[in-house]
Amino acid sequence: MSVSRLAWIAASALVFCVIVAAWQQAADARVFSPVFFPGPDRIWSALHRGWTQGDLAARTATTLGHMLVGWLLASVVGVALGAVIGLSPLASAYLKPTLELLRPLPASATIPVAIALLGLGESMVLAVIAFGAVWPMLVGTMHGVQSVEPRLLEVAHALGMPRRRVIRDIALPSAIPDILAGLRLSLTVALILTAVTEMMAGGDGLGAAILDAGRLMRSANVFAGVAILGLIGMAGAMLLSILEARCLRWRLAS
Amino acid sequence: MSVRVRQAKRRFETPGVAIEAIAPAPLIRFRQVGLDIGGRTIIDGVSLDIRGGEVVCVVGPSGCGKTTLLRMIAGFVQPTAGTVTFNGQPTAAPRPDVAIVFQDYGKALLPWRTAAGNVALALEAIGLPKPQRPARIAELLALLGLGGHADKYPAAMSGGMQQRLQIARALAQEPTVLLMDEPFGALDAMTRQHLQDELLRIVTDRGITVFFVTHDLEEAIYLADRVIGLAPNPGRVAREFDIGLARPRDQLATIEHPDFLRLRRALFEFIKAAES
Repeated sequence: MSVSRLAWIAASALVFCVIVAAWQQAADARVFSPVFFPGPDRIWSALHRGWTQGDLAARTATTLGHMLVGWLLASVVGVALGAVIGLSPLASAYLKPTLELLRPLPASATIPVAIALLGLGESMVLAVIAFGAVWPMLVGTMHGVQSVEPRLLEVAHALGMPRRRVIRDIALPSAIPDILAGLRLSLTVALILTAVTEMMAGGDGLGAAILDAGRLMRSANVFAGVAILGLIGMAGAMLLSILEARCLRWRLAS
Repeated sequence: MSVRVRQAKRRFETPGVAIEAIAPAPLIRFRQVGLDIGGRTIIDGVSLDIRGGEVVCVVGPSGCGKTTLLRMIAGFVQPTAGTVTFNGQPTAAPRPDVAIVFQDYGKALLPWRTAAGNVALALEAIGLPKPQRPARIAELLALLGLGGHADKYPAAMSGGMQQRLQIARALAQEPTVLLMDEPFGALDAMTRQHLQDELLRIVTDRGITVFFVTHDLEEAIYLADRVIGLAPNPGRVAREFDIGLARPRDQLATIEHPDFLRLRRALFEFIKAAES
């Protein structure tokens, strides 16, 4: 790692520390009522207490599970459906109008429908997350396989490659950058919907815990839950960046 | 190759049925080929015979259908009049023993595959068993001077190297015919000269027939046994130039040869006339 990169990391860490310190100062000075505005010290102790004595770790695991399974479902369905629609004019003609109708639906608005259809259980939570997170994947994959360099299709044609091989060796690999972008967007959507559905459906995830803590005026616990959600989002984005760098090595190869 | 060419030449020099029977039939044959697209005539009445092992260069002003003729041999485009045959068979679809090298190597290579992976694409397509591929890949990369770059991605290669790679991939098909669409047009002069010489060495060794489209008249003369001059509106064969220059050709001796200069002038004047 280069010196300048280390310096940048140090600088951004410093900014974070300054913000936390200022927050602590504001809390200590009681700028807002401590009932609504806990300082970082109280949030930290709430986190610590919740993690070691309470059920925060288990709730985090539940939330992570919801998000990941929903996101995975969305990814599989999104990539498959996107590839089919992108590659087959027939499938596109049949499916696209329906999908265009479903796509602009706010995913959170589908929660009551999903509750009515699937009850308050896991399957409802996963269905809502998957429904909301599927679109970036679907659109990304569709766009990716449709924007294959025409010259490469000619190369494949000249080589007499069968359609199956063209899809596997040319269309899908060339859609990888779009698919990765879709994965990234989907993950964000999945996290948002995980929190929202957990709040609406109750259960033992972080969403419900945050809502309950809010109702009981335990502001430190609210902030602790939100902080964990933030960390999950950040970790997810970082892991995807690593995946992206690995998958797109060929772009900036030297 | 030289034997075949001599035989073929004799056919023109000595009229007679007996000789005609000995001479091999042309490998590629255009017969009164025409192409109309949307009521516009792109190609009109092209008749052309290309013998096996011959290097044919095609020149002509833009829009005279050079690339279209190439795409007809490739089986990408079907004529609306006349026939294009390969070994007596109509060129209805692409075939593995006809390979194409495009000008835009940057687009024609798979950017997510290494040099070795790009060559492997053609080997997969012709169905070479997997265990035999690594040796074949190494051999082809070495042939094009890319031996040390097997694991590089195209993005990490210079234009000249990328075009070498595309040629290696085309040769992986073990083609009888190599169709080249201005393959060296985007390269700098030194790289172009090197690749011209390497191309000639390879196709002469292997007796590969070459159909080479170019804008560069000197390149056409340097490479070709025969240069086809096309005229536009509609695209048609206007003149053929037999290039009798000795092989192997040499970037100094050939280009300074009086015959080369004479041909250069003739071609130059032809293009000027065709353009006006």
